[in-house]
Amino acid sequence: MTGYILRRLVSAIPVLLGITVIVFLIMAMIPGDPATAILGSYATPENVARINASLGLDKPLVQRYFIWLGHMLTGDFGRSYALNRPVLDEILDRFSATMVLAGTSFVLCAILGVLAGVVSAARQYGWADRAITFVVLIGISVPSFFLGMMMILIFAVRLKWLPVSGMYAIYGGGDLADLARHLAMPALALAAVATGVIARMARSAMLEVLRQDYIRTARAKGVSETRVVLRHALKAAMVSILPVLGLQAGFVLSGAVYIEMVFQWPGVGRMLVDAILKRDILLVQGGVVFVAACYVVFNIAVDVVQGLLDPRIKA
Amino acid sequence: MSGFLKLLLRNRLAALGGVVITGIVALALVTPLLPLQPPDVTNTAERFARPFSPGHLLGTDNLGRDLLSRLLLGTRLSLAVGTVAALGAAVTGSAIGIVAGYFGGRTDNVIMRLIDMLMAFPYILLALAIVAALGPGLVNALIAVAAVNVPFFARNIRGLTVGLAGREFIDAARLSGLGHTRIILSELLPNVLPVIVIGISTTVGWMILETAGLSFLGLGSQPPQADLGSMLGEARAALITAPHSSVVPGIMIFLIVMSINLLGDGVRDALDPRLKSGALSRPRAATRVAREHVPEVPQQGVLDLQNLETQFHVGRRVYRAVNDVSLHVKPGECLGIIGESGSGKSVTALSVMGLVASPPGVITGGAVRHDGTDLLSLRPGDLRARRGAKVAYIFQDPLATLHPLFTIGDQLIEAIRSHRALPKAQARARALEMLEAVRIPNPESRLENYPHEMSGGMRQRVGIAMAMINEPEVIIADEPTTALDVTVQAQILSLLDELRRERGLAILFITHDFGVVAQLCDRVAVMYAGRIVEEGPTMQILDAPAHPYTKRLIACVPELGGGRRTLAAIPGLPPVVDKLPEGCAFAPRCAKAQEACRRGEIALEGAAPRAVRCLFPEEAPT
Amino acid sequence: MAVSALALCAASPALAQTPAGVLIVGQIAEPKSLDPAADTAVNDFRILVNLYDGLVRYKSGTLEVEPALAEGWEISEGGTVYTFTLKEGVQFHDGTPVDAEAVKFNFDRMLVEDHPYHDTGPFPLAFFFSAITQTEAVDARTVKFTLNEPYAPFLSNLAYPTGLIVSPAGVKAGGKDFGRSPVGTGPFKFKEWRSNEAVVLEKNPDYWDGAPELEALVFRPITDANTRVAEMLSGGIDMMVEVPPTALAQFRTQDFKLAEQAGPHVWFLILNMKDGPFADKLLRQAANYAINKKALCGDVLEGTAAVSNGPVAPAFSWAYDDSLEPYPYDPEKAKALIAQSGATDLSVTFYVTEGGSGMLDPIPMGTAIQADLKAVGFDVKIETFEWNTFLGKVNPGLEGQADMAEMAWMTNDPDTLPFLTLRTAAFPDQGGFNSGYYSNPEVDSLLEEARKETDQDKRGALYRKMAGIVHDDAPWVFVANWKQNAVTSAAVSHFTLQPSFLLELGKVTKA
Repeated sequence: MTGYILRRLVSAIPVLLGITVIVFLIMAMIPGDPATAILGSYATPENVARINASLGLDKPLVQRYFIWLGHMLTGDFGRSYALNRPVLDEILDRFSATMVLAGTSFVLCAILGVLAGVVSAARQYGWADRAITFVVLIGISVPSFFLGMMMILIFAVRLKWLPVSGMYAIYGGGDLADLARHLAMPALALAAVATGVIARMARSAMLEVLRQDYIRTARAKGVSETRVVLRHALKAAMVSILPVLGLQAGFVLSGAVYIEMVFQWPGVGRMLVDAILKRDILLVQGGVVFVAACYVVFNIAVDVVQGLLDPRIKA
Repeated sequence: MSGFLKLLLRNRLAALGGVVITGIVALALVTPLLPLQPPDVTNTAERFARPFSPGHLLGTDNLGRDLLSRLLLGTRLSLAVGTVAALGAAVTGSAIGIVAGYFGGRTDNVIMRLIDMLMAFPYILLALAIVAALGPGLVNALIAVAAVNVPFFARNIRGLTVGLAGREFIDAARLSGLGHTRIILSELLPNVLPVIVIGISTTVGWMILETAGLSFLGLGSQPPQADLGSMLGEARAALITAPHSSVVPGIMIFLIVMSINLLGDGVRDALDPRLKSGALSRPRAATRVAREHVPEVPQQGVLDLQNLETQFHVGRRVYRAVNDVSLHVKPGECLGIIGESGSGKSVTALSVMGLVASPPGVITGGAVRHDGTDLLSLRPGDLRARRGAKVAYIFQDPLATLHPLFTIGDQLIEAIRSHRALPKAQARARALEMLEAVRIPNPESRLENYPHEMSGGMRQRVGIAMAMINEPEVIIADEPTTALDVTVQAQILSLLDELRRERGLAILFITHDFGVVAQLCDRVAVMYAGRIVEEGPTMQILDAPAHPYTKRLIACVPELGGGRRTLAAIPGLPPVVDKLPEGCAFAPRCAKAQEACRRGEIALEGAAPRAVRCLFPEEAPT
Repeated sequence: MAVSALALCAASPALAQTPAGVLIVGQIAEPKSLDPAADTAVNDFRILVNLYDGLVRYKSGTLEVEPALAEGWEISEGGTVYTFTLKEGVQFHDGTPVDAEAVKFNFDRMLVEDHPYHDTGPFPLAFFFSAITQTEAVDARTVKFTLNEPYAPFLSNLAYPTGLIVSPAGVKAGGKDFGRSPVGTGPFKFKEWRSNEAVVLEKNPDYWDGAPELEALVFRPITDANTRVAEMLSGGIDMMVEVPPTALAQFRTQDFKLAEQAGPHVWFLILNMKDGPFADKLLRQAANYAINKKALCGDVLEGTAAVSNGPVAPAFSWAYDDSLEPYPYDPEKAKALIAQSGATDLSVTFYVTEGGSGMLDPIPMGTAIQADLKAVGFDVKIETFEWNTFLGKVNPGLEGQADMAEMAWMTNDPDTLPFLTLRTAAFPDQGGFNSGYYSNPEVDSLLEEARKETDQDKRGALYRKMAGIVHDDAPWVFVANWKQNAVTSAAVSHFTLQPSFLLELGKVTKA
């Protein structure tokens, strides 16, 4: 297993290197530069040149790429000019916030989605199935930012049940209950789409599995129906649900961009959008590489779990 | 009938989606003809007029423009954008996927690595970066949305193509000298097209959402042009003051995406042949029973099937898989049921404990008596308590019938603990004992094995052990040796025979092979087209088959050492059981059939213990 | 589970109550830095002015300069030497004295390339002080600046946040990270900066100009305007700036107070005078007549702006010509002018930004402008760009690309805007921002003259004359002067918005 993980990690290196090239080129191609972003209306060519030189942007492209890559390999992601602090500090700060949000959402959508799919499959064409199918369809048919905005309007502004935005109360907060209050709306809004996708996938995977001969065998043994569904069928269905979970993790991470903007969550998605708009090159590059690396690692983890779940897959 | 209704109801959802989206598309198409207010004329004094204001049915937006006309034009544009983006992503992605899958090797490797990179790149940022690089505008947003969805198609289609590229017809095409382009276009494409269509139908909605998302970030259409996303984006600033200006486009997006999704599901289901056959509906815990009356006949033997009728209801068709079958088996006796595939023998066996998949299976008549009770009238819990404990099954192909993800030990222990509250250690000891009883070497270590780690013969021994583990009174063995080679088959048969004699088991043995019947069964029943056509003691029937069909079946068995006898396969195919001919079902294939055979019901009759369903039975050799 | 989570949250009372004595301000973005020499954005300035003082500052309610850390100053006869006398006994928050050496340190850090702390930059707005050739600490309380030539806006630039004085000891301790651990002299001291959540300042009880009433200030970055409004409505913040015009109606209740202040801001359309229809003065004037500026300011901006008459903002009262009438909304006159010009090709490419410093509501405004121009016969095609791309497109000049572009400036001196955008010597290829290529020798010489004139009345007259000429030449469509707004909860008092757009909170109280 360790060997397998190592092999997968090694094979991820070219992918990550490719991503460094893509993100670097994109940032080089986008019109506008950090100097314009810093100086705004005062961006005279002279001032721009001075600032670009002080940021090292006057060097040739290829040289800049290798300087950046070299520094990054030593753990130095550079300094964000727009936030005036080391890129890595900012990413780590922001990333932990995103992990709380996206992680909660992901757990929420994985549990709710699989549960909905299982119930829906086990009660196929029953009222529970129809209700779930309907709710799930709503979930995947509404833009998440719209859902978020509506939630703020209803639960925060009108009913005043929940705080509008942010991660912790500015004063007197900081505990888990406070975090939960701030997390409730964004996590649900973010989970909606993925829950829908997972529920649909889980439903059809369960239906597929429930048709299998080994399910009939379990029934012929006299295994109770609950156990047939939750143990025999679900475990087998998880084999095809897991890759979807892996894929959805990527979508949740991306969808976090909108949700973080609407709910002012101090996460990495919003950071990257701001950074692109401010042409904060090093922050964008570092952030994207970091997010991509997490995505890759997460998918390796999914494959490993898959291997543990299904002994037929040779690890 | 009700299963059919349910399927229809499901289609009704898709139909609803179809109606809504057709309505929206129709509206979008006739929009230019409608007497609408000009969409771009501003009248800031009348901004944010509420819905149903005079002159503005849906009110006005932040510049006092008519929301209704903007909504309709925006819908038009958004639908077009979503469709074009989905098509663009599908065409590009599928092309990449087919090329990668078809050429394989390094091409595949390089392409898939690139796709991996795109997948690992957070998709919104990719879209954002593309739009930032190309400049804003609906066309560029469309390109961005399409681009970020290319990997989805590329991966799916590649997987499919890899599977197809190795198939014979592709090799054949290659050998016949067709060029790569021809092969891809004429051989591969038609085969992956349904999946592409399914992909498109399920992503159009997603594309509209994503374009709306980009517009939300301010990267969509250029003013004054309206698309739904930019309408939402422009109205957002007034969400609290004038919610109607965001709710109107919001609801339209919702309606479009929802109806497209419903329709997409319908399309997917329609293109998936398994759903039509009912294969994607969930089988219930026990076969549905819908009998008009229960025969009140005293029980014979330990298990008694009385006038059993099992049907499959698929759509409007009714397949009469088991038709008025009566059988019984005594303790220590082995009854064989023999017939070609499709003769209804397996369905008969599965009907006993309600294991026929339902839907589409329904038991429509008769009774199954055991211990004096009718198993078919038991409540689910009581039926479950007897499954495996009183009547156990051994199935064909244990690779498919043993759960692939649990160890042998787990599955055996579960079988015990489903019926007895035994501590795990004791259950384990019992499992070990049973593995020894079926002569599995190193049983201790085998407990930790998964099914795929064992040979076919070993797996079937496990299947037998699992059936025997609760010491049932009856074992129903459904072609247990079919998948095995001849030597292993002989071992399994002798094992079964031994167990039966030692433990006084009653065995119902399903097979299509008279050779197997000869080795094990005391009596045999021959089934054809869901009915018993002949029954009697094995030896007598082997010696003197009365039904022409039985005779042909026996003729199919090669005699050991006797070289080939008249190993003539039976010409023709068994009838489809939803259109049974009148009279004898075998008549169309029977060399001796006469006019009378094709008319009226033919009874199963004869002097006990034999019976035959034939007007002109074979003469007993004298 | 989700439902129970909601229920749990709903059960906890006292939501959305901000503590007494603490003012929570909804900001529009995370600050870049709290080092005044490094900042460029108004958003950051709003925090800085509460942390620091400059040598001079704007007198409350005006854009006129008054003493702050300096108790007075002298300007030499030729206008090239400025000598400041510092107040006695003022200390930085870290206890070090505000002396002449400290002031010298501040300016040398920005301007002298081999200064040991020059590398704590970059200092993008250092060119505000590029006229300084030398800064001398004459004695502990006397600082002398020598300029390369007379430069009238110098005092005003010193009052601008770039001129705020930081603690040399703080810079030495913080190095490049000084912006995250700022030390100044202001009414509030830096307490903490929770990245992307809040910047917290606490009361400086020893403030030389009287200790503030509030115990603490919290600046929360809330980039999304809707979310900011929702926070304000739900009581999560006590004050928000830059209220979106559409949301204003929500705050016209007794739970809130609305503050408004016109500032030194001009919102205009640059017209390309080199090629395309607007090379013709008649068509430029036609555009000025065709656009309904009253509707833009009154309806689209909900009264948060006033119609502009020229390149000088009314906030510079001493330089503003209030007798100059804005172009009225007169589509008929516009059509007549178009007919008179004989132009046939009226297609116009219009650069619009999605948002940016001082740009107000650029897309709705651009769209309404497009509709107005269309009504008189111009065929306007909008291209929108996100702010930085937009600047990258507009600053190099519109020639060959576009005929019209939105633009807005906020300045601290009436000189800045025309000097950078209306002179012949400010064409884009010469490093200026005259992206529409306006060139009038009379305007050029008036601006040069005004720059060297240290007498404010005389300067004002020069600007008024300049504004009249520009108004008639119509190199721009003069659209709006922004009235900045802020909303506070009813509990907040003694708050006034300053014309400088700075957010001074030293005197504010909260019940």
